[in-house]
Amino acid sequence: MDETYDVIVLGTGLKECVLSGMMSVSGKKVLHMDRNKYYGAEIASLSPLEDCFAHFKREAPAKEQYGRGRDWNVDLIPKFLMANGQLVKLLIHTGVTRYLEFKSVDGSYVYKGGKIFKVPADEKEALATSLMGLFEKRRFKNFLQFAQEFDIDDPKTYKNVDAKTTTAADVYKKFGLDGNTQDFTGHAIALYRDDDYMSQPCGELLRRMKLYSESLARYGKSPYLYPLYGLGELPQGFARLSAIYSGTFMLDRPGTTIEFEEGRVVGVKDNEGNLAKCKQVICDPSYSPEKCKPVGKVVRAICILDHPIPNTKDAQSVQIIIPANQVNRKKDIYISVVSYAHNVAAKGWYLAIVSTTAETPDPEKELDVGLQLLGPIHEKFVSVSELYEPVDDGKTSQVYISKSYDATSHFETTCTDILEMYERITGEPFDFSSLKTAQLESED
Amino acid sequence: MAGRQGAQRPNGATQGKICQFKLVLLGESAVGKSSLVLRFVKGQFHEYQESTIGAAFLTQTVCLDDTTVKFEIWDTAGQERYHSLAPMYYRGAQAAIVVFDITNQDTFARAKGWVKELQRQASPNIVIALAGNKADLAQKRMVEYEEAQAYAEENSLLFIETSAKTAMNVNEIFLAIAKKLPKNEGGGPTQSRQSGVKLNNEQTQQSEGGCCK
Repeated sequence: MDETYDVIVLGTGLKECVLSGMMSVSGKKVLHMDRNKYYGAEIASLSPLEDCFAHFKREAPAKEQYGRGRDWNVDLIPKFLMANGQLVKLLIHTGVTRYLEFKSVDGSYVYKGGKIFKVPADEKEALATSLMGLFEKRRFKNFLQFAQEFDIDDPKTYKNVDAKTTTAADVYKKFGLDGNTQDFTGHAIALYRDDDYMSQPCGELLRRMKLYSESLARYGKSPYLYPLYGLGELPQGFARLSAIYSGTFMLDRPGTTIEFEEGRVVGVKDNEGNLAKCKQVICDPSYSPEKCKPVGKVVRAICILDHPIPNTKDAQSVQIIIPANQVNRKKDIYISVVSYAHNVAAKGWYLAIVSTTAETPDPEKELDVGLQLLGPIHEKFVSVSELYEPVDDGKTSQVYISKSYDATSHFETTCTDILEMYERITGEPFDFSSLKTAQLESED
Repeated sequence: MAGRQGAQRPNGATQGKICQFKLVLLGESAVGKSSLVLRFVKGQFHEYQESTIGAAFLTQTVCLDDTTVKFEIWDTAGQERYHSLAPMYYRGAQAAIVVFDITNQDTFARAKGWVKELQRQASPNIVIALAGNKADLAQKRMVEYEEAQAYAEENSLLFIETSAKTAMNVNEIFLAIAKKLPKNEGGGPTQSRQSGVKLNNEQTQQSEGGCCK
């Protein structure tokens, strides 16, 4: 502990672990600590099941009521990986992917008029879906094709659409799409959580649609991937990368404080008063609350079920999106379901998380429309979390703080935060090719 | 690099099935975990082996009669030092080598702790070998062979004294593990595990069930 490091990382959430790995690989001397006994911080997968009950201050379940407790890995935050997204790219470039196995999520569903519909995954499903009428389907198909072919570097693909000036609303109008199709496109494909994007230039909409279809093309059933044994495997994998490049790891270190001199970080003290010196600190908001501001609340209900979600063809994993417009809200409600098929629950059991951004003084009530889609619920753990962001860019204090995990259903904003932090910390944009060495290492 | 009998590339003359197993190393810092692997995989030994760096995932094959056993070897990467090994480390491990230093009684006591940890965290069918390393330093011995042997028998572990420095019994311990691992088609400890997709740059194929492909 009484040593000098380049970087001390506090908290073993995904963002902290990825950055820890990047720093170690680039030759920095890294000390990484967590107040908890387990890896993952906010993004941990709690195991055994008894730990999940304890986390929510509930009495442990009757023995064997839910099978073996050790067979459970309960995520605290619901997210999937886009198969062609930035996190997958990071996993491949760092070689961390070799520690993990994934499953493609069985299907993506969208809520319309009180019922759920499968988001078509191929042409056959698109032709058969009752999500839209025959003529609307043709218009939608034209739009999809346009989005697929749109290339910012090739004006021939523009078809009178200027990605920088034409708004999303205008481009919908140009292709004659009705309100339901707009809802479906913006929320179930481009994965916007509200309608603010409608008045923005359409370039981002088209980029998101492309990410969706390219991700879908990789494994077929849905654009989403999920790691076996839960999301907590992701930070563990990147922590291992950091350790391999001589990062030092210490779990179970409560009571650490960040020490400053003249507004600049000088080190981190543990609860016994030992000081580890460092030039920079990377941490999640909980390690430096005085440098953070609240930016909203997320409400999540983790539910234990003994059956698949009704009307999903017994899928072992699904995502259901309830677009805000369909239920008179501002922000969408998400449902993500995984099960024993992903080694996160005992045989025959399912885990569903219903979540949204809180809009009222009674956030739990806001989840009702989602909870009603689940069928009978065995156990429900509800939490309301405040989301935090750092008040500054960290350059003066050299304390770089990540943002809390937002309500999005995937890791794209997580990766954006990581890459922006990397650039602030090192002064250079992250270069994916710099990690190639990590991949080449050790293949015998 | 002689003395690598038994180890052969799978594209060699050997035909028959290839079985892949995850093997994890455990033991106190500086007992010679990395040195054992380095000796086994590369036939090398460094007197002043640095704390594990950069190469914590190695593979090596061992040939039995009609089977090629491929070990996917996980080193601790130093995460054992402050008891910060992740559950991921134990997950799906079908074999483990728990290493101690025969010149240091404390490391033997800690080895017993690691065996307990494996019995708690790892698959119940895991094959565990206990390695009393640094056997070349027998004149400084602090852990009697009989003591370790008796402990191993009580706990159904394989036990061999090794020396990464002289290569004594290094291949033998891996070979002994290979022999003890179940190699029946689709059987073995992996059966209960779900199998998923491995990501890579190219289009990825689904890998289906079992240890033998």
